[in-house]
Amino acid sequence: MAHDVATQVRGYMFVFGALLVLTVTTVAVSYLRLPETPAVIIGLSIALTKAALVAMYFMHLKGEKPAVYWPLGLTAFLFVGLLVSLLLAEGDHLFGTQFDDAFTR
Amino acid sequence: MEIPYTTEVRPDTGLTNPKLGIWLFLASEVMLFGSLFSSYALLRSGAPTWPVQREILSVPLASLNTVVLIASSVTMVMAWASLTPHTASVRAGNRDEEARSLTRYRLFMGLTLLGGAIFLVVKTIEYSDKFSHHFYPSTNNFLALYFTLTGLHAVHVIVGMIVNGYLWGPGARMWRSDPERFANRIEVAGIYWHFVDVVWIFLFPVLYLL
Repeated sequence: MAHDVATQVRGYMFVFGALLVLTVTTVAVSYLRLPETPAVIIGLSIALTKAALVAMYFMHLKGEKPAVYWPLGLTAFLFVGLLVSLLLAEGDHLFGTQFDDAFTR
Repeated sequence: MEIPYTTEVRPDTGLTNPKLGIWLFLASEVMLFGSLFSSYALLRSGAPTWPVQREILSVPLASLNTVVLIASSVTMVMAWASLTPHTASVRAGNRDEEARSLTRYRLFMGLTLLGGAIFLVVKTIEYSDKFSHHFYPSTNNFLALYFTLTGLHAVHVIVGMIVNGYLWGPGARMWRSDPERFANRIEVAGIYWHFVDVVWIFLFPVLYLL
């Protein structure tokens, strides 16, 4: 058990290092002033990677039981559903389907 | 009445009740923050103009806070790792091991609390700076979202610090009376604290960098 924890602690330090590197990377990339789309893709990809590292290792989600995965999977599905349905229902501006567009054409 | 399955695993879920409980609570928290992130996406994508966020907010201060919160997550998990290998020997009455592991735990939990406190001090400096420039939630949609999201997050930091402060101080008496249950409490409090870290990991690029 003590040996397992020593291995775990080494893993935590590795994750800590990775999180610091990713933080420096995301800040450095933001100073490049990339166009919006690549900036959003890179910024959110780095954030997702950092969040996954914290969840898998610090929150012990790696190797967790299905009773945890199911509610979390459902939550992720509902969150994406919320985001997409809001944008589809209200985001006329994104899809060029506003009424005023029709009138001005 | 004894609360069931605090340390032993419940056969049908394969988990202790506190572990399942914290994850269900966090699932509801994902939807709370998720609705605000969705509002942000909708308002920003629909706005004819949007402020250059990094010119209003301080990227260096937020970067510092990101590192502080990540470090406090590491110390939190180290606080748990200081206890969990020693539960059996503390249960068996090994007082030396009990004291040694408790000292180590208190050091790491104390550092976690310090990290939370530094985060809040930096946040206060940021807020004061905004107010001194007459930037309020009512100024524009971006600042309304900024204050709502970071304010709600700061409330979560404060709640986590209250729980962690209790577990650092009077709550730590349980280490002697019921070591397995105390180690589980630290793990569960840790899962919440790491969630607060995860929320900030998304707030940082969304509000400051992009």
